[in-house]
Amino acid sequence: MSSPAAPTSTASGNLTVWVDAVRLPDAKAYQAAHPNVKMTIVTFDGDGNGATGLQTKIQLWNKAGSGWPDVIFSEQVNDPVWMAQQPFDFAADMGSLISKDITSQWPATSLGQCTVGGKLVCLQDNLAPNVLWVNQKLMTQFGYTVPKTWQDWQALGQKVATEHPGYIIGNSGDSYGAWTYFWGNQCPLESNVSGTKVTINAADTHCTEMATLLDPLIKNGTAPPLGIFSPDFAKKYGGATDKVLLMPGPAWYAQDVFGGTLHIPAGEMTATTPLQWGTDSPITTGQIGGGPWIISKHSANTAAAADFVQWSTTSFNPDPTSKDARPGLPGYAPLQALWLAGLAKNPYFAADPSPALKAAAGLIWQGWQLVTYPDQPVWTNTVVTGLVAGKTLTSLMPAFGKALGQAAKAAGYTVATS
Amino acid sequence: MQATRKRGLHAGGAQRKRDQGAAWRGLPFVLPYLPFLILFGILPAIYALSLAFTTSKGKFIGLKNFTKTANDYRFGPAFEHVFLYTSVWLISLIVFVVGLALMLHSRASKATSTFRFLYYIPGALAGAASVLVWLFMLDPAVSPARFLLEHVFGSTLFVQAIAPGHLPFIFAMIAFWTGAGGWIVVLYGALNTIPPDLEEAARIDGAGAWTIALRLKLPMIRKWIAYMGILSFATGTQLFVEPQLVNQASLGFVPDTWSANQLAYQLAFRYGKFNEAAAVSVDLLLIGLIAAVLIVTRTGLFRKED
Repeated sequence: MSSPAAPTSTASGNLTVWVDAVRLPDAKAYQAAHPNVKMTIVTFDGDGNGATGLQTKIQLWNKAGSGWPDVIFSEQVNDPVWMAQQPFDFAADMGSLISKDITSQWPATSLGQCTVGGKLVCLQDNLAPNVLWVNQKLMTQFGYTVPKTWQDWQALGQKVATEHPGYIIGNSGDSYGAWTYFWGNQCPLESNVSGTKVTINAADTHCTEMATLLDPLIKNGTAPPLGIFSPDFAKKYGGATDKVLLMPGPAWYAQDVFGGTLHIPAGEMTATTPLQWGTDSPITTGQIGGGPWIISKHSANTAAAADFVQWSTTSFNPDPTSKDARPGLPGYAPLQALWLAGLAKNPYFAADPSPALKAAAGLIWQGWQLVTYPDQPVWTNTVVTGLVAGKTLTSLMPAFGKALGQAAKAAGYTVATS
Repeated sequence: MQATRKRGLHAGGAQRKRDQGAAWRGLPFVLPYLPFLILFGILPAIYALSLAFTTSKGKFIGLKNFTKTANDYRFGPAFEHVFLYTSVWLISLIVFVVGLALMLHSRASKATSTFRFLYYIPGALAGAASVLVWLFMLDPAVSPARFLLEHVFGSTLFVQAIAPGHLPFIFAMIAFWTGAGGWIVVLYGALNTIPPDLEEAARIDGAGAWTIALRLKLPMIRKWIAYMGILSFATGTQLFVEPQLVNQASLGFVPDTWSANQLAYQLAFRYGKFNEAAAVSVDLLLIGLIAAVLIVTRTGLFRKED
């Protein structure tokens, strides 16, 4: 399935785009399809893991009064929030650049995240709801049933630790660990955000009960404090060792992470709907990433910039098994349907993961809002460092809440606990 | 030496006049450096000073930027890290560099030049590149020093190797290996300026290798050691590249405001608070100046008589 021919585009002129390595094939494909546009493609770390590279870059461009790229792709879903505000003041109003017929094809929740001060300042390249990734081959081999609730998941972890030590059912060392476990369980770590107000309450039951649930698994090694992108992780659990039994994680893990990063063989993985907390209904889940496209308000060529963003989010869809494939669930509905159809037929998966991904997209808990400060490094350097040193998550929660509050205050927020 | 000091005292006036003449004659030698010093050293420092005492709109607000940054929750830990790191690094630098230089010098043979070269090699790696090499050294999965990491430090994973408590020592180790070689060469050169007859006289008087090294050579290279101390103290307190790279390589495991200089950088370019960032830089400048004044007055770095 190659990308459908772009509707006759009139875009031309110079265009500078900043993308991460994953979006590079996209930018290159646009260039190939649009020879009239003279593109400068710059790859960078994508601001992933809560990096603040883009903040410093934009400050420098603002100081210099020149140098801004026309379009930026960020791996950090909250980046547009600060980009649309002082002192950065970088993001252009996309609502006036891209037709409403197009933008209305994104889910309302996605558009809500991209709306700052009443303006649409970004479009999500992909939606990133968390699902439960399952190694179907190993589960069948061990004779386990796939858990439906977090409690079942924990019970299975206890069983795995004694019956098959070394295998894992999750991990707790990613920078977005809090987004994996606490967002979905409605823990108010970034809630009631309005203007510069935010609620942070790490002592809320929704937070402490999840910490209590995770502690035995961190201790018995079935949810180790290692990041999935760390070389140690791939070595211990990936490839030939093949020790990932279950993994709560975002939609874009898919073939990109399991096949590409961890080298788990084809015919093993699939996805199932996000875990439920006990009997709580409806099920809610977290979101990790869902990288947005942002157009610069300083751009001298907004027409080409808008054309590029529209093409990237609505047309670009290479063969799902090729190395250039889109890793994540597209936000634009018609493309999403096309992409899911490709995923359903992808021989990498043991069973069709597309229904789980589609369902999860509508389950993201709306009580967790995006803030201007990076909260993910706070998790990494207050919680993960402690877990590595053998402390319990429960004992680290007060320090985590305090450090989040400090980060919020440093960014100019007033912090409430309820 | 006693005699020269006395002569210096008697001929003080004449000496000063000769010094002034020498200063003018020295000018052409420093001239090529002056524009750069002014452009990249003095002007930025003045700019930082003016920023540090004003608001972003240029209004004078006294010490407000200083008190505000000092109360920042990251200020204390950042300076604590930097001081621990600087002390570990300076002490090891002085002890090992002086020790190795003295040892090299007392064994003047063909092997000396080989060792001098070997000591210098790690220093040939520029700052950022050496950190990348060290990232491999510190990762037990790929490190050639895996045995040490596992059995001495008990780290089987990269995240354990770079645990917060290890960091000041790790950064000190990186800085030591990249900087020590150059200083060994400098001190070796300094040792070479000691007249050989002094050493011979000492040997005739019955001094052994130890006595010569500690009682004769060490006092004579005191100024070079002081010079090394001043420069290294300033570099040490301004630590930036190492923690910044480890922050990125560890995916945020190490905070991006680990050192004081990083805090200044983040304040300026992440929060847009250039005036507060300037206040942190002025703090660093002051600390460097105080240390330099202390070292200069205590060791008589600029005293000419001896």
